[in-house]
Amino acid sequence: MSGSLLLQSLILGLLLGGLYALLAAGLTLYFGVMRVVMIAHSAFLILAAYLAWFFTTQTGLDPLLSLIITVPLFFAAGYGMQRALLSRLRPATLTMMSVLLTFAIALIIEGGLGYLFSGTQRRIQLGYSSASLELWGARIAVVKLVAFGLAAVSLLALYLLLKKTRFGQALRATIQHREAAQLLGIDTDRIAGFGFGLGLATAAVGGTALALDATIYPSLHWHWIGPLMAIIVIGGLGSIPGAAVAAMLLGVTQALLQIPMGTTWAQTVFYLALFATLMFRPQGFFGGRLAQRF
Amino acid sequence: MRFTKTPTASKRSRATLAAAAAVTLASTLAACGAAEEGGGDDEIVIGISLPLTGDFSEPGKGIQRGYEAWAEYVNDNGGLLGRDVRLEMLDDQSSAERVAADYEKLINQEQVDLVVGPFSTRLVIPAAQVAQDYGYLFVEPAGAAPEVFEEGFENLFYAAPAVADDHYKLLAEHILAMPESERPKTAAYASMDDPFAQGTAYGLKDALEEGGIKTVADEVYPPNTTDFSSIAAKIADTKADMVVGGSQYQDGVNLIVALQQLDYQPKLAAFSTAPTETEFAEAIGDKTQGIIAPTGYTTKADYPENQEFVKFYEEKHGEAPGEDEANAWTTGQVVAAAVEAVECAEPDPDCQSKLIDWLHENEVETVVGPLSWDDKGRPQSAHMIQQWVDGEIKIVLPEDQAEAEFVYPKPAW
Amino acid sequence: MLSASRHKTATHQAGRTSQGRSVLLTKLVVAAVLLGLVLAFPALAPDPFILSVGVVIASYAALAVAWNFVGGLTGYISLGHAAYSGLGGYGTALLVTEAGVNPWVSMVVAAVLVGLAAVPIGIASLRVRGASFVIVSIALVLILLLVAQSWAEVTGGSNGLRVPRPFGTDVLRPEQHERFFYLFVALTLVALVLWWVIDRSRLGTGLKAIREDEDKAQALGVPTFAYKLVVFVVSAFMTAMAGGMYALWFGSLDPIFQFSILTGSYLVLMSLLGGVRSLLGPVVGAVIVGYAVEFFKNQYGDSQMHLVALGVLLALVVLFMPDGVIPWVSAQLGRFRPGDTSIREVDAAQLAEERKALEEAKS
Repeated sequence: MSGSLLLQSLILGLLLGGLYALLAAGLTLYFGVMRVVMIAHSAFLILAAYLAWFFTTQTGLDPLLSLIITVPLFFAAGYGMQRALLSRLRPATLTMMSVLLTFAIALIIEGGLGYLFSGTQRRIQLGYSSASLELWGARIAVVKLVAFGLAAVSLLALYLLLKKTRFGQALRATIQHREAAQLLGIDTDRIAGFGFGLGLATAAVGGTALALDATIYPSLHWHWIGPLMAIIVIGGLGSIPGAAVAAMLLGVTQALLQIPMGTTWAQTVFYLALFATLMFRPQGFFGGRLAQRF
Repeated sequence: MRFTKTPTASKRSRATLAAAAAVTLASTLAACGAAEEGGGDDEIVIGISLPLTGDFSEPGKGIQRGYEAWAEYVNDNGGLLGRDVRLEMLDDQSSAERVAADYEKLINQEQVDLVVGPFSTRLVIPAAQVAQDYGYLFVEPAGAAPEVFEEGFENLFYAAPAVADDHYKLLAEHILAMPESERPKTAAYASMDDPFAQGTAYGLKDALEEGGIKTVADEVYPPNTTDFSSIAAKIADTKADMVVGGSQYQDGVNLIVALQQLDYQPKLAAFSTAPTETEFAEAIGDKTQGIIAPTGYTTKADYPENQEFVKFYEEKHGEAPGEDEANAWTTGQVVAAAVEAVECAEPDPDCQSKLIDWLHENEVETVVGPLSWDDKGRPQSAHMIQQWVDGEIKIVLPEDQAEAEFVYPKPAW
Repeated sequence: MLSASRHKTATHQAGRTSQGRSVLLTKLVVAAVLLGLVLAFPALAPDPFILSVGVVIASYAALAVAWNFVGGLTGYISLGHAAYSGLGGYGTALLVTEAGVNPWVSMVVAAVLVGLAAVPIGIASLRVRGASFVIVSIALVLILLLVAQSWAEVTGGSNGLRVPRPFGTDVLRPEQHERFFYLFVALTLVALVLWWVIDRSRLGTGLKAIREDEDKAQALGVPTFAYKLVVFVVSAFMTAMAGGMYALWFGSLDPIFQFSILTGSYLVLMSLLGGVRSLLGPVVGAVIVGYAVEFFKNQYGDSQMHLVALGVLLALVVLFMPDGVIPWVSAQLGRFRPGDTSIREVDAAQLAEERKALEEAKS
């Protein structure tokens, strides 16, 4: 193994970790506001990727432009889903039943995509698909760089939104203590809906980023949901910074392990880390009071 | 007192419901079978299960077009033994469990006269097992992997020129015949974890290793891999003289794009299946320079059967048939030859075993040339090698069929 | 609301003594008739294909009852039970092919091994509450799929693994189907008896307390973690038995279908549909879902719409009848009975729970 391969893998890991971080942030956001494990998150990711692909094949425009449509659409869908479906569930069995409900939604999306576009693998043809930049002997594909940039900008925007705005404060208050937030006059139901919308918007961005450089097919979401769920448990359920840090770490670890172990075995790192976390530190590494009970 | 009624009644209704379900299960399933029971004296019913949805749906549909065209052709020309051929097709959703249930149904409920095979090695093995258990002949268009022939099936015949290991046979011979100084010295292999795809790459690998060409990378990826950047990075890092991909379609495209992103320039690049597909050049942005692929079929082959097939198919569909269509047509031809020779096509085990015996002992003229089989059902011919030259894919090996010179080393992509 | 239900149970107690015996008798008669029908199925089935559908449904029934040890008794929903059935199948196949062990012994040994493996998995996933349990259950299927695909030297990788027949070659295929049908029915019965015993025991009472309110149960001194772990292991064991039996019947294993999240979700749908709180609920659900799958395949075959249908069905059950379709239907019917309409703040399932709790308090 040469130094350049190591550097190459490190860069690939960081680029992939950025995408994981954005998506895991969305997943942990749902958990924070609603105590819901949103199985359909990655199904929406693939849906967004399909929309980007469809947009490009129909119009011939760059897939990034599809974000103008998909982000607001997904935000609205997330808000609607929380208000119309998840808030109907009984609080006592919410965790379990929400898993099943979002699982059902994932199946509907997968089946619908398969029905409309068939099970064939799809890939966007771009003029710059095989273009790359050189950096100290390593090569970085332009499409991967664009995808990473998209994820980084969105994650930063999400961070600023949560830290610097009144809405962000209200959202964080809802996550930390719902009843107390209500006493302060925060409309926690609406805030929870918006939180869901934001989470789904990350799936829209992530899906477009994914579609730039990967093949997509309807059942692909199962390959994403496993690592993402592992990331949010390891980071501590409900903690967005925790999810982001765990995502970067695991993304890089996975890429480096691929050198000696091959792609398949390297993926198991997510699950081993998940089991180890639950055995020795069930609340995760950045989770607070909230994570201990779930 | 009244309150006790509710739970009892609910228990009872539950029980009745279950009983009713059990009875209707048997009767309705039987009813839908009995209604369409086929195979009278005036027609021969052929049962097929194909992956029309799911992972293998694209090649599955190609096979379907091939079978349908063949049946139409046979019926236009007086049928088989003077009887019309009718195809009974079921969709197995690319699932091994479904495929077994489908053949079970075709044989028992539809009582078809003959069965022919589905697509992909993974589905061929469970299907062949069912056919064998009921004594049926099983000719199949798509199970080329070595494993298929190691299961001891006596009823199985693969209707194509060569098994997966032998797809690159001519290429291996050509490389090893080069002078020592020009020959590639190192090779990198990447293959999908799929019996067929892996068979093609490893067939070449074994032959080249024996000839002294060193293996410097050997990567295997699961069927649904979409991110090839790390595999490509490892291959590029070895700077191997040649790269071989044991690919189906999309994975081959992705791997080539990932290698191009890393600006890796081998002297020889061979990939199975993907480069022969019509959309291939567009999918990799027309950077096809010198890519090699084996093929079992070409529309240009000058066997009379083939010219008739291409003419008939083009009239029907307005485009030339591909390899999947040709394989299905070949399967039809093989079964038809056996049926004509022993003059029977019935579910009866005697008839089926006569068909099986005949195929073991005889050679059949098909669109891919004359085919014969060893005792395990392996066909005994070879694949041709094609190469992309100036934006077109052309046959380069064997030399007597070649449309262009073999280009080595390949130009940069 | 509380006083209303207390009043009801009191009335119910008075009525019980005179009605109890005849209720029991009806139950027994119905059960005998049902069992008779099930056992007569192979004789009634018109051809081997329908018999093979029957075998698949019987295997679903065994799996669904095995799932319901965790799902029904603790309320923890596992989407990953395919992990245990797949492990059972692969374990059985490997013991038969690699070690040359008798197939039936292999099946039991494999199931015991899966049960042992379930202990650390249970410890990792049951210490915290539901969310982590669900995540682990899904993660387990995904990791096992990866391992089964990659560890080709042992599992055969994507090529799959062939399992030799447990019966000689002279036993023809239709006869195989018949034997396996009875074997699966027997396995289902064993699982049902075990579920019934646990349900009546002290363990069962504790588990149901966890299901209703885990915090309170813990405060009352129920060893919640240990109780959950016990049924979790039992469930994994029974699931592995059914998986091993399936491997012996079907004869070949493919990682994608053995470690499939869809299989796991079918089990959930079956149990929820039939009602997780009742003994026979999962069996009824298995018959309905198994039959429906076969029926839709027959009618509509060629599309991905079956996934959509499964999703819609699951969503409807979760949103509108989380206690199961059959309890829901009978509750709806019950509403139209005279005298039963006035006070219905408490639904039938909750009433049944109270009654059981009272019985147990008495004994």
